[in-house]
Amino acid sequence: MVTKRWIATSVAVVAILSLLAACGPTPTPEVVKEVVKETVVVEKEVEVTKVVEVEKVVEVTPGPEPEEVSMVYITAGDVNMLALGQNVLAPDFHEMYPNVTVAVVHTGPGDAGSRLIFEKLLADKEAGKDPGDVDVAMVHQKFMAWAMEEDLLLKYADELETWQYMTAGDVKNALGTDIEGYAMPMFHSQTALAYNPDEVPEPPKSYEELVEWVKENPGKFGYNGIKGGMSGVSFTVGWIYWKSGNYDKYAVTGPFDEAEVATWEEGLKEMKEFNEYVTFTAGNVGTLDALNRGEIVMGPVWVDMFYTFMLEGKMDPKMRLIVPEPGMPGQPMYFVIPKNARHPEQAKKWVEYVTSPEVQGNIIIDRYNWYPGIDGKFVEDVAPPEAFERLYKDVSPETLSKYGKSFPIVEYFDAMLEAYEKWVTGG
Amino acid sequence: MKSGSPVANAKLAERKRRGGWEWLLPFSLLLPAVGLMLALYAYPFVSSIYRSLLVKGEGALTLANYAKVRELYLRDVFFSLEISILSTAIAAVLSIALAAYLRLATGQFARLIGNVYRFPIFIPFVVVAQMMRTFLAPHGLLNIFLAQVGLLNMEAPLQLLNWKGLAFGFVWKQAPFMTLIVLSGFEMVDNTYIEAARSVGAKLPQVIIRILVPMSRATISVALILAFTSTVGTFTLPYMLIGGKVPTTVTVDIAHRVTYFGDYGVANALGTLAYVMVVFTAIYYLRYTVRRGIYEYQEG
Repeated sequence: MVTKRWIATSVAVVAILSLLAACGPTPTPEVVKEVVKETVVVEKEVEVTKVVEVEKVVEVTPGPEPEEVSMVYITAGDVNMLALGQNVLAPDFHEMYPNVTVAVVHTGPGDAGSRLIFEKLLADKEAGKDPGDVDVAMVHQKFMAWAMEEDLLLKYADELETWQYMTAGDVKNALGTDIEGYAMPMFHSQTALAYNPDEVPEPPKSYEELVEWVKENPGKFGYNGIKGGMSGVSFTVGWIYWKSGNYDKYAVTGPFDEAEVATWEEGLKEMKEFNEYVTFTAGNVGTLDALNRGEIVMGPVWVDMFYTFMLEGKMDPKMRLIVPEPGMPGQPMYFVIPKNARHPEQAKKWVEYVTSPEVQGNIIIDRYNWYPGIDGKFVEDVAPPEAFERLYKDVSPETLSKYGKSFPIVEYFDAMLEAYEKWVTGG
Repeated sequence: MKSGSPVANAKLAERKRRGGWEWLLPFSLLLPAVGLMLALYAYPFVSSIYRSLLVKGEGALTLANYAKVRELYLRDVFFSLEISILSTAIAAVLSIALAAYLRLATGQFARLIGNVYRFPIFIPFVVVAQMMRTFLAPHGLLNIFLAQVGLLNMEAPLQLLNWKGLAFGFVWKQAPFMTLIVLSGFEMVDNTYIEAARSVGAKLPQVIIRILVPMSRATISVALILAFTSTVGTFTLPYMLIGGKVPTTVTVDIAHRVTYFGDYGVANALGTLAYVMVVFTAIYYLRYTVRRGIYEYQEG
């Protein structure tokens, strides 16, 4: 009986503790450690190759041989970002520059992924590590504010061949931080309303029209709230831009003013009423699925996911997109080069390569359905016509420049999400 | 240890007699196991409670995170509790019925059921979630099936991507697991009890309610606690099935605080409330089994 009791007790203890373990703090530092480990290997490789090179110079080579370089490219984002780097970009780049090998390191999705990169670079700086471990990184917009404040980045972009193709506003400014010359966008992704043209022959052209439409067609519009993915977050942010009319202050100029938050109350209470007529979906994919199954006929989606679903046969090809006035947010992801990069010259070549019209047209647009990081008109001749046509059919470059908004600066962003929880879902 | 008490004095004398550090031996044998428990479970547990009392940028301990939970997530806390109790209760009834059937029935069919019912145990929650969201969707498999057989109008399908679907998913996943445990308890009940009951006229429900269940109370409470705790802590199923709907579960809120705000304070406060939910069941269970254990030990 004692054994039985002991087993029963330990079962209970393990049961509770496993729940605790699941809820425990995320082991953030461990990931950073991994990055460090990886780069230790890189260091060794570089040292070894140097020795070899010296021998060569002494014995045979009359002219200078290109140095063997192992470059570290670290990326935030979903696993597709890792796949893109590892399976597509790195091998192609190696073919162009056989002496350069690119090791791709992945941190994780969302701002949390960018945060890890920032912490790594900051740690290197504070430890006085020069050269550091990272040669080039792919980050979200929020990263730029953090990194610029700590002076971690190299001003490199205006030296590049492809700098001339950069026209978008977020090349100069990221969520209120001046970044001109420090970052190059690899792509832009945009949110829009997807709709079924059979059911909605004349889609609402603005948030205002949408509200009327939703009241006439209850349950036919669906979105995923703010806890189920960024497409719902984006729709909500667009709503606040519309209601407040203060886009410039929230997303471009700043600064954060606590008093603004109270002015959202009325608009968000209207959203609470709006939500009565809405179907809630389970996540970004949930909205796409519900639209495809005909449970809803309209909802906010990420454009790249929408077209990728279509190409994979998971979305009815008749579905269309529209960006309602006054606009919905989208976001780029940027290439940055740390000040203490080991191989800054090769890193620049890497960025130049990915931002070239060829890669932008054939990989970014055709394969991933992102809007290009560079100005669309330079890609037009390169991208497969059907891919270009697909991407710009519903959301033209003009619409994009007019209604493609940025997400708000960090403080406003946080305040908006919490205001939604307070006035829309709370109470 | 009081030096005055005779027991303590005797212990001290004994230690002196043996000399050296020998008294440390039992502790050193315990150290690896206890150390592991402390490092892997107790430390994160205590640290998450401690961190739930900290607000970023402020040094002092504060209840601000709990105030925020109260303001924004109180409904979700109760929703988590309710949905967990509801699903565990339904799963318990189903698992007792199924286990009783498997215990008492004989023959090919019972053996087949006995093999098949275990499948959901091996399917991870994330897969269950993916299954449920296509199966239960308004235009999903279930509704289409019901419409095809004429039980339902497709214009007004069953809306199951809410607490109902969530409970369904939890029961689907937890009932087999509970059955496995409950059945092991039922197997321990000697046939003579059942036969005796039957010979004095007990019907099947009476055999279950008055013989099998009371004699397996400890096992059933193990099953209840394991199912309840893992239900409270499940993230994937609610996240994928109901996501941003209102109300949602505490686990979804924790993810939300961490992903969008990097706010571990409120996330830890929510986590602490989840501990509270499971701790009550655990305390009850421990007291119950410990008392029972001592009692039986003395008797035996």
